[in-house]
Amino acid sequence: MATGLRLVTERAGSGAGQPVFDTGNDEELMLVQPGVSIVLGNRPPEFPGTLYISNKQIVWLSDTDREKGYAVNFVSVSLHAVSRDPESYSSPCIYTQVIDTLIETGTDDDDDESENSDSEGTEILNLSKITEMRLVPSDPNQLDTLFATFCQCAELNPDPVEALQGEEEVGHNWVFSADQLEDDEGGHNWVFSADQLEDDEGTEDEDQDSTHAIGANGNHDLAHSVVQLQINDQRFEDAEEMGQYDKNGAN
Amino acid sequence: MVIPGVQLFFSYFKDLVGREVTVELKNDLAIRGTLHSVDQYLNIKLENTRVVDQDKYPHMVKPNSFFYFFPPSRLSVRNCFIRGSVVRYVQLPPEGVDVELLHDATRREARGG
Repeated sequence: MATGLRLVTERAGSGAGQPVFDTGNDEELMLVQPGVSIVLGNRPPEFPGTLYISNKQIVWLSDTDREKGYAVNFVSVSLHAVSRDPESYSSPCIYTQVIDTLIETGTDDDDDESENSDSEGTEILNLSKITEMRLVPSDPNQLDTLFATFCQCAELNPDPVEALQGEEEVGHNWVFSADQLEDDEGGHNWVFSADQLEDDEGTEDEDQDSTHAIGANGNHDLAHSVVQLQINDQRFEDAEEMGQYDKNGAN
Repeated sequence: MVIPGVQLFFSYFKDLVGREVTVELKNDLAIRGTLHSVDQYLNIKLENTRVVDQDKYPHMVKPNSFFYFFPPSRLSVRNCFIRGSVVRYVQLPPEGVDVELLHDATRREARGG
């Protein structure tokens, strides 16, 4: 599975073309933003280009060079943010960090060209070493929309979830108050305020207790434990002697 | 990737919405901000975000071979979205922590598992 930033050389259509999306696998285009320059790591900005955001990945294609394009999957984007600090970068932009989970122990941090020393100058860049990417729209008013779209798509791409031994698949089966969110994204529940936790009219499933209370644990019936505890408690109540008391009951 | 007790943490973080937290990522970057929202994957959205000065908190910089270490660039952002899977720690405001409650809950979580 390709992770991290990668080069895109394939395009659909004529002229500047478009990215090739995997429509057979439910990939769909969410947003197109022309007039975006891309800044990889500390490299100079590359421009002009067009940004394509699908529900699975971010693709930037150069408007002038059909051989030049970059893409990264949302699962590899560890964070994204709107950056308006001129000291951080001269222009307002979307700042992202990219993780490449293929880089594990053993990979040296030597230098960028370590694997491509036979390339022509710095033309061939080891993209897997890129950990920061900025997207600079020529219209800074688009930043909030871009950020929101990034958030949406990131939410659509959670890490693959594996089932625990003996437990049901965790991750998208959580139930909490139905009135928490009127929000759009089905199955994706953001909590914005503590007020939204007020309760508990919404739990439909008896199997899945509302889990928003600390200590509540999905499949485990805490009520039973509590009842047992109470039974035991009664025995202690009668025992006024400081000394030992029978486990079978003082009375 | 399933983290045992994620439900517990999700519940806990929901109560911290509106508080200042510092999120330390697996790549050693520390980001401070107001917790705007959290979801069931522990994706975190922060507002008024700024990067924590690593020099001030040297104990937070650890060698991390899993992710490529990069020199932290000065980054001042307002709104930030952090993927749950890259979070290492979330530092909580002391007044936001009911230690008793949390201990209790984690004990129960461990027993029930």
